[in-house]
Amino acid sequence: MSDQAHVPTGHDLAPGEEEQHSVGERILGYVVGLVLALLLTATSFFIAGTDLVWQPSIPVALIVLAIAQMGVHLVFFLHITTGPDNTNNVLALAFGLLIVFLVVGGTVWIMSHLNQNMPPMDQFIRMHS
Amino acid sequence: MTMTATIGHAHADPHHIGIVVEHPGPASKRIVTAYGFWVFLLSDIVMFSCFFAAYAVLVGQTADGPKGSEIFEHRNVAIETVLLLLSSFTCGMASIAADVRNRFWFYLGMAVTCVLGLAFLTIEFREFANLVSRGYGPSRSAFLTAFFSLVGCHGLHVSAGVLWLLTMMAQVFAKGFRADILRRMMCFALFWHALDIIWVAVFSVVYLLGSAV
Amino acid sequence: MLGKLDWSAIPFDQPIPLVAGAMVLVAILGVLAWVVVKGHLPYLWHEWITSVDHKRIGVMYVLLASVMFLRGGSDAIMMRIQQSVAYQSQGYLPPEHYNQIFSAHGTIMIFFVAMPFVIGLMNLVVPLQLGVRDVAFPTLNSVGFWLTATGALLVNISLVVGEFARTGWLAFPPLSGLTYSPGVGVDYYAWSLQISGVGTLVAGINLVTTVLKLRTKGMNYLRMPMFCWTTLASNLLIVAAFPILTATLAMLLLDRYLGFHFFTNEAGGNVMMFMNLIWAWGHPEVYILVLPAFGIFSEVVSTFSGKPLFGYRSMVLATMAICVISFMVWLHHFFTMGAGPDVNAIFGIASMIIAVPTGVKIYNWLFTMYGGRIRFTTPMLWSVGFMVTFITGGLTGVLVAVPPADFLLHNSLFLVAHFHHVIIGGVLFGAFAGFTYWFPKAFGFRLEEAWGKAAFWFTFIGFYVTFLPLYTAGLLGMTRRLQHYDVAAWRPWMHVAAIGMGLLCVAVVCQITQLVVSIRNREALRDRTGDPWDGRSLEWATSSPPPVFNFAFHPDVRGEDAYWAMKQHAKEQQLEHHPEPEYEDIEMPRNSPTGFVCAFFASVMGFALIWHIWWMVILGVLGAFATFVVFAWRDHDEYVIPAAEVARIDRVNVEERRSLVSMAGGV
Ligand code: HEM
Ligand SMILES: [Cu+2]
Repeated sequence: MSDQAHVPTGHDLAPGEEEQHSVGERILGYVVGLVLALLLTATSFFIAGTDLVWQPSIPVALIVLAIAQMGVHLVFFLHITTGPDNTNNVLALAFGLLIVFLVVGGTVWIMSHLNQNMPPMDQFIRMHS
Repeated sequence: MTMTATIGHAHADPHHIGIVVEHPGPASKRIVTAYGFWVFLLSDIVMFSCFFAAYAVLVGQTADGPKGSEIFEHRNVAIETVLLLLSSFTCGMASIAADVRNRFWFYLGMAVTCVLGLAFLTIEFREFANLVSRGYGPSRSAFLTAFFSLVGCHGLHVSAGVLWLLTMMAQVFAKGFRADILRRMMCFALFWHALDIIWVAVFSVVYLLGSAV
Repeated sequence: MLGKLDWSAIPFDQPIPLVAGAMVLVAILGVLAWVVVKGHLPYLWHEWITSVDHKRIGVMYVLLASVMFLRGGSDAIMMRIQQSVAYQSQGYLPPEHYNQIFSAHGTIMIFFVAMPFVIGLMNLVVPLQLGVRDVAFPTLNSVGFWLTATGALLVNISLVVGEFARTGWLAFPPLSGLTYSPGVGVDYYAWSLQISGVGTLVAGINLVTTVLKLRTKGMNYLRMPMFCWTTLASNLLIVAAFPILTATLAMLLLDRYLGFHFFTNEAGGNVMMFMNLIWAWGHPEVYILVLPAFGIFSEVVSTFSGKPLFGYRSMVLATMAICVISFMVWLHHFFTMGAGPDVNAIFGIASMIIAVPTGVKIYNWLFTMYGGRIRFTTPMLWSVGFMVTFITGGLTGVLVAVPPADFLLHNSLFLVAHFHHVIIGGVLFGAFAGFTYWFPKAFGFRLEEAWGKAAFWFTFIGFYVTFLPLYTAGLLGMTRRLQHYDVAAWRPWMHVAAIGMGLLCVAVVCQITQLVVSIRNREALRDRTGDPWDGRSLEWATSSPPPVFNFAFHPDVRGEDAYWAMKQHAKEQQLEHHPEPEYEDIEMPRNSPTGFVCAFFASVMGFALIWHIWWMVILGVLGAFATFVVFAWRDHDEYVIPAAEVARIDRVNVEERRSLVSMAGGV
């Protein structure tokens, strides 16, 4: 079977661990992360409190900003990368996120439909009085 | 238990994929420990997601009590956020110090992290105490139930983190930077950063979006 | 001082739980006294209770499951008798007692029989199949086991101190809220599940990490035995689903203890959110149970057909597909709760889709058997019995997954028949198959086949006699959890079911006899080679029982069915003389009482929480924390087995094995 190519492996990183870097580079990574996170936080709080932007866009903007900030934390503080040494860590993360998405999304969807068809007692009473 | 990699056995491709990457053997303890903890963190995040889901469902159920916009103080939340962010940074500094086995910077980083964490908890506690004293405790309405549980659950995690942080410092003080202690330190850093990520979701969903309801 | 606890908690007026409790107590004290008098206590403490050896912990899990199986089974007998006599009468069990029995039965069977049984088998076998010396976190493994035992202990304490929940095994509010369940029953239920849930989570994290990070050289993902794959999928589900259970029960407890309003009818709480959340855990849970069983059947069918597993890759794919899809169907447990047709339709279709990968698996097993030289040993009988039973059980599942049909069948005995069909036919048959299959590995001798086969046939027939009538009764409109009834048409079916229960009891007696007889005849049944079934995966490559370190050398894996390949290789070169390898020192984790001590404090804490004894709660929490700090402080977590000792142990095994190969080669 001559078409086999053998790839050396054995390189694997623990979650949170960085490739070999000097201390200075590592500190710089955290500084960049901190600055980005602070910027995103400030933007979130600003957008939530302002009437300078189109109001219906605010929830979407807040969610996007939150996701971006989580990404910043993952990359700069938790050192998650797309490299092959991180595959297992990223797969586990992806599985976790899928579950979070299913649980939160599913619950909100299901419960909003239940409420449509069978409102809680107080609404029910209000509707019929 | 670490094994060195041996590569290349010719007859190992029953399904003719072409590329065979020989598995090198059990991973190092450092990777195993951190990975296990990583999996734990994901499960913890799933746990949080239930409280988030409950909050999303119950946020409108104020039972004629206060709405989010009436009780949330964005200035406080912003301060809390900055405190946690800074603590994530100092925690990162402490882990670098631990990796290069520098006691002074390790203790300093951990101590500052601890102080920032405690400051965060104090602000949160005062917010809770203030709400309860105004009669807006968790039993007032389903909305407040969900709010107190979600934010309180995060607060409990931070408290546990502070306790863990102190035992980490004590361990380094008593035993030095032993391999097992460095592994635990790595897990602690993961924990602390993860709490920060959850806080991002908390301030965005609970406080900022929650004020809009 | 003692919170809500006083003498009225002991049910002096109810003879059944009191006598049962007294009997259990006498049995426990008797065993304890025997252990102490015979001087076995140090052995038990050093070799078992503090053991962090995955094989020992696995055995203890299975033991716990077996004991609790007897308890849950007693509940089942009582319920079947009650329903067959309670026609137009109260029967012999008063309603409040009957309600506790069916709640305890469900809780125990799922959490303290099925779960520990499969977790125990995974613990015992997976590191061996992966060719490694231990799991990822040996001490935590012990913690996990003992916390599970704590949960079981609390449930059993409720028999004599206080009461158990009367709410069914999922404690739906508002019934489980403080208004309608003011007693301690629901608290027993919730705290024992919280504590054992932590144990299960720990086991899940441990096994996921073990499979993903600890595999021997060359054990690529696509060379792992099927059981390792299903273990991975099942434990991924544990890690993802059990936190949901924890959160949901925490909310229920907050409602009960601190007046929160998650699931109350007042102040905007939402009862239906409990169903939603608990089933978001509950459906994955059924796959947590059944996936390992699928893995066991794969191993058994392939071994006893003497063929590699047919369609290995499709099996892997099906397993992982089930792992993900099982998180997308939970609403089918509450179709009738009022969601619109669109929601119901989507979840109904998703539920039916799960049947597809399951079907793939069935075909794979059938094709593995096709053309094989099948040996109908006891494990193989359980597997074939499973295939027959699970197909019909799955079909009734697809039936109730059709929303309009489910509006008729929901909460009827038809549903009860469905899930017993899949859980007994799937999980329990799997557990028994795995038990007989790996028993020689764990203890070094085989189980008596005749009694095993008798147990199988009584279970198989008894199962159908017990549960087929429930389908009919369900279609005749009989709802579940009836303490008495007035409909004459249901009565004969209840009688038949009770007879079936009798057959199942005979089966249990056969199982126990099998164990006793086999222990007596253990010399004749001894497995000297470590490979009693002509197995294919690495657990058979070491002696039975394996040494603490499992393998003197990490095996070097070159393909699927690793051990089979090694045997073929050895036969081909049987005349070659292999020089003895260089043995090396082996480091193994030291035993630790952490798990046991921690569980002790957890029991104290759980009991105190149930009875509102706050000072004792604090004591328990502090104790558990202190235990962990002490553990973190220890200086030596490993001990060394010297190379000479490793060599001595290994040589014996190599000799036995060589004789096996030369015998087989001579044929
Ligand atoms: C083809 C696969 C399956 C389908 C489509 C299916 C479908 C369903 C549906 C729709 C229900 C709810 C019916 C009702 O409440 O009215 C149900 C209940 C149940 N199923 Fe299945 N099922 C399947 C396989 C399994 C398996 C493999 C297990 C366990 C190993 C299982 C265990 C249960 C349990 C425990 C319940 C009911 C619990 C309760 O209400 O207390 N099912 N199933
Ligand atoms: Cu289901």
